[in-house]
Amino acid sequence: MTRRLLFALMALALISGTAFADAADAGKALSVRTFQFKFKEADKAAVVIKPLVSGEGSMAIQPSSNSLVVTDHPDNLKAIAAALQQYDAPARNVRLSVRLVGASRVDPSIAVEPGAELKDIATELSLLRFNSFERLGETELQGKEGEPGLLDLASGYRAEFKFGEYDPASDTIRLNDFRLSRLQNDQLVPLYKATLNLKLGRTVIVGATKPQGQRALMIVVVAKR
Amino acid sequence: MISCRDFRAGFTAATADPKMLEHVRGCDLCLDHAAAIDPDIVFRAIGGGELVPPGGVDAFVDDVMRQVRVRSAANVVNVPSRFSWRKLSAAAAMAAGVTGAALVYHYERGTRVIPPPVTDRPAVVANLTTKPVVETYESENATIVEVPASEPGGAQVVMIFDESLPSDL
Repeated sequence: MTRRLLFALMALALISGTAFADAADAGKALSVRTFQFKFKEADKAAVVIKPLVSGEGSMAIQPSSNSLVVTDHPDNLKAIAAALQQYDAPARNVRLSVRLVGASRVDPSIAVEPGAELKDIATELSLLRFNSFERLGETELQGKEGEPGLLDLASGYRAEFKFGEYDPASDTIRLNDFRLSRLQNDQLVPLYKATLNLKLGRTVIVGATKPQGQRALMIVVVAKR
Repeated sequence: MISCRDFRAGFTAATADPKMLEHVRGCDLCLDHAAAIDPDIVFRAIGGGELVPPGGVDAFVDDVMRQVRVRSAANVVNVPSRFSWRKLSAAAAMAAGVTGAALVYHYERGTRVIPPPVTDRPAVVANLTTKPVVETYESENATIVEVPASEPGGAQVVMIFDESLPSDL
């Protein structure tokens, strides 16, 4: 009887040990989830979640079913699932509030400090080497993801772009092909072209100047839903 | 009663001489001497050959044999069983329990692997990654400086220093 009891205990210890070993490995194990998209394309979704996938994780796009198969640690998969859930939504409305500010470095006696309309960004402007600020104009624009946008900023400046997709991982909206131009002699002269990422609800000041230049053009923009 | 010397001189195996037997009953030393020659002398000395059990020899033998059978039967009943259904069932229950638990555990692990549908529960995902404000810029002669915000959530300043820009911006 003692031998049988010993045998049973050994078997129990063996099975329990296996179970506990598996439990210990559970946190390190990789899981697989498939995400199918209704509104967005799987390949673009892959780009969105790429920063969230761990070094051991991987993903595969299935164009036929417009789905994405992601392999990663369970904790990462939760974050990825939440990000994709926000991402796979109908085109969102985005509202842009834009101010155009001319900055220059002049003799302090004639310098113009930021007025009340620029009070919210006075601290940030003071960090720059310019000491005189002038509001050139402001405008608002409402659009949707994927739609083109046009900002007529007065003072001859104009910005054309295309609303990109909202990225839930960074909570940003992308402005693709952002082209800033200036009207000179009845002609639009391009100044620069860029791709901008605007964090929702956050004020972003994009300044442009020549190196060692005495003047700069500041675009102060806030993107909101 | 004969003397010890006469006893030892005249003692022979299987003797039934009453004098010899009487001497043996009274002298332990000579009993030992005689038993070395004839072990049965002990029984003959006490008159064993003439004893008859109560009820006769046959009845005595039957009684003895009955006791032997009873003891044998008792031994059969009491022999420790090498095969016990109770122990086997307990071991089976224990093994089934442990195996079941292990299977349930593995099954639950397996269900995590099965891709579940994306649920509609609300989720808040933000600030998991950061992106540069100016992701691309179409000029080779530009330097882009992203100034850290002075306070969390404060305005973000990005300066583009581009040689190709006009000086009268």
